[in-house]
Amino acid sequence: MKGVKIGLEIHEQLDTKSKLFCACPTDYREAEPNKSICPVCTGQPGSKPFGVNEKAVNAVIKIAMALNCKIVTNRPVQIRRKHYIYPDLPSGYQRTSEPIGTEGELNNVQIHEVHLEEDPGRFFLREGFVDLNRSGTPLIEITTEPVFDSPQHAREWLEKLASVLAYLDVTKKEEGTMRIDANISLNNGSKVEIKNINSFRNVEKALAFEITRQEDLLRRGLIVDRETRHFDEKMILTSPSRKKETEEDYRHMPDPDIPPLLIKKELAEKTKETLPELPQSKAKRFVKQYQLSGQNAENMVSDPYTADVFENVAKTVDPVIASNWFVGQLKKTLNYNSMTLRDSKITEKQLASLLKLVERQKITERAAELTLREMVLRPEEPAKIIENLGLLEFGDLNTIVKEILDKNEKAVNDYKTGRKEAFEYLVGQVMKITKGSADPETIRKALKRGAELK
Amino acid sequence: MKLNEKVSRYLEKIPKSKLNAFISINKNAEKDAEKIQRKIDTNAAGRLAGYVLAIKDNIAVSGMRLTCASKMLENYVSPYDATVVKRIIAEDGLIIGKTNMDEFACGASGETSYFGATLNPSDEKRVPGGSSSGSAAVVAAGLCDVSLGSDTGGSIRCPSSFCGVLGFKPTYGTVSRYGLVDMAMSLDQIGPITKTVSDAALVLSVINGSDGMDNTAIKTKEDYTKFAKQKITGIKIGVVGEFFDGCDHNVEKNVRDGVEILKSEGAKIVDVSVPKTPIAVPAYYLNMFAEFSSAMQKFDGLKYGFRKEGKDLNDTVAESRSSLGEEVKRRILLGTYITMKEFRGKWYSTALKARESIRHEMRAALKKCDLLAGPTMPFTAFKLGDKIKDPVEMYLSDILTVSANLSGLPAASVPLEVKGMPVGMQLHADTGSDGKILFAAAAYERASK
Ligand SMILES: [Zn+2]
Repeated sequence: MKGVKIGLEIHEQLDTKSKLFCACPTDYREAEPNKSICPVCTGQPGSKPFGVNEKAVNAVIKIAMALNCKIVTNRPVQIRRKHYIYPDLPSGYQRTSEPIGTEGELNNVQIHEVHLEEDPGRFFLREGFVDLNRSGTPLIEITTEPVFDSPQHAREWLEKLASVLAYLDVTKKEEGTMRIDANISLNNGSKVEIKNINSFRNVEKALAFEITRQEDLLRRGLIVDRETRHFDEKMILTSPSRKKETEEDYRHMPDPDIPPLLIKKELAEKTKETLPELPQSKAKRFVKQYQLSGQNAENMVSDPYTADVFENVAKTVDPVIASNWFVGQLKKTLNYNSMTLRDSKITEKQLASLLKLVERQKITERAAELTLREMVLRPEEPAKIIENLGLLEFGDLNTIVKEILDKNEKAVNDYKTGRKEAFEYLVGQVMKITKGSADPETIRKALKRGAELK
Repeated sequence: MKLNEKVSRYLEKIPKSKLNAFISINKNAEKDAEKIQRKIDTNAAGRLAGYVLAIKDNIAVSGMRLTCASKMLENYVSPYDATVVKRIIAEDGLIIGKTNMDEFACGASGETSYFGATLNPSDEKRVPGGSSSGSAAVVAAGLCDVSLGSDTGGSIRCPSSFCGVLGFKPTYGTVSRYGLVDMAMSLDQIGPITKTVSDAALVLSVINGSDGMDNTAIKTKEDYTKFAKQKITGIKIGVVGEFFDGCDHNVEKNVRDGVEILKSEGAKIVDVSVPKTPIAVPAYYLNMFAEFSSAMQKFDGLKYGFRKEGKDLNDTVAESRSSLGEEVKRRILLGTYITMKEFRGKWYSTALKARESIRHEMRAALKKCDLLAGPTMPFTAFKLGDKIKDPVEMYLSDILTVSANLSGLPAASVPLEVKGMPVGMQLHADTGSDGKILFAAAAYERASK
């Protein structure tokens, strides 16, 4: 889209056992409200931060490395206080670090910086209730340069980022932990920020709405205000925020309670060595090693678990056939059931046995599909499922076809003289017997082959 | 005397005292005394067994109120113990109560307390100094054995000087601040107020040492009791000329006499200079205002403390904060102002630079000698009401104490043998050399008795 400039700020919780500045557990979702708390994370008078959770710092370094950032090792990284008043912020300031990584890049999107901060508690406005279990949970904030030119571009890139984070395995896995702020300007006009969007689809929707809104204002000769808005999921629109954040002065100040972080060059280098193979390079390797199409490879690497299962299956099954099934039927079936491969608990062995049957043309494609649908819900050896469902194997189909051809000599001759109805009649006969367990295309092929031999 | 008898005597004496030095009394004091006495009887007691302590009311004691002498926290009960309190209890020290102070430690006279001014035991018409006013007064008046205060710009040493007791501010990072309500986080330090040097050494030995609950408390635990017995032969004491500028004649004479006594005990006396002393007060106040305004953010009436409902969230916060006293509000306002984006460069950055230059000079002076000596306060305790109307004059009375905090150095006010109102001699040492102050103070104590 012309003149559209979008930048993103992504907040994701880090998967540490304890909070950023105290020893409380981070399992706030399971705990009763206000049970995972202590004097530190509830801002009791006199409490002090215990120090910065080292695991959280290491997680940020790891992510920054994977995003090809420069790690700040040449100067101390201060923990700063950002002051504002809100019921979910017990100390009246939020602690955020200075950038830990800068000038990164992922899929041609420039990363401005990456830093560490603490999550506030949760304030339920209508009930007037505050739950501080979340208060002090470590977060990473990733800021991109304003380089996205469309809402779709932003959403697609977020999916790539999520995939990288899944590979690194240092962020929370529960859904809805990621929160995104998106800023957008049209034709270098005022920047509007949409805060606290909770899913990639909503990022796309909110931005699309915002473009329409701003274009409409400009068309009518009106001015786009520089402001903070929030996205209403139900109404699919953005509206101005209650909190006037753009005018606020946070009075940033280094936190006197916490000595600055000193990140050693050696630690950064060591972290780099421990990075796993990331989706981009894995996809390249898949193309080269297994002769897959680029599209299939990219599709499969987005989830590290799927990519691992594929590699194990490809040891015994033709990789191209396997990959077509992974991105085709398998994905479709899982999506239909709103599952991931990991959720389904299908074993590599089960999947490999099924695909081997397909590869050796032991069963029809249709039968394989039906087997897979059953396998996703109740994982078992495919042979057993095939038997239980009474599905056809190729041998059976050929026998039926031969029988029908022998019984209907007239129809066969009519077909051979070019009468299409005669062929359709034969197809119908076979289908009657197979009761839908073989797909029409396979039946047609088998009939044609059989009729020619006659 | 058995501990329970001693505690009963204190508990009888405290309500009769007119000093207004306590805010809360430990209701379980007698029970605690019996428990500790049983340990004493079976030789199973800790190092502080037999001691009765008072704690400044900005240090958390679980189950007791933590008021900071403010209406804001009048009914706030602490859900936890400060690290120093845990350590005292672990060594069988008995906490008898929480002492009066300037509200949120904002004051040098003890007059800004929401619960009313503390009086000076030497002359009840005079102030006891602040902000640890109650902690100094109770030790001087014999309402307990020893106490804890906190010192951000002289809050232990000033009242100790005015009340005639020993007040010790350790090197920054020696004692955990966990449980001490923030005033200015980079300056605050807890320390003992006692009658004798050996008591100060003992209390400090119990409470010092690194703590996982305070990042800045990183010093390895040390035993200071051995220092209190060392001889001072050969120790070099630098007398700082600037520390006597504008000082009362009587104070100067007494402090110089004190230095003479140290000389007669074997110390070598030299003259040193800290020319930047006059900028210490503005440097201190700007740094403190900035940090204090940040520390006070949490007192918004939304979670705990005084709450007055307003028409919306911001209004409720403003209404609740109106319960704070004048001096506290003034400091929050000034601190907010100098840390605003617009003015930060001009004020806060300048203050940080000034702090650095003071630190540099103090450390340089301490390269030439072991200890720096001078008065703690430029004058003796003034009359109640004399300075409270003029904040600037009150601020200037901190001129000799703030440099230790700005530099992170240990410093103590040693009570001098004087006629009339008490006078304190202040001794500074280099960071981590807290022990040197103790052995010089002990030498003075021995020689003057
Ligand atoms: Zn906590």
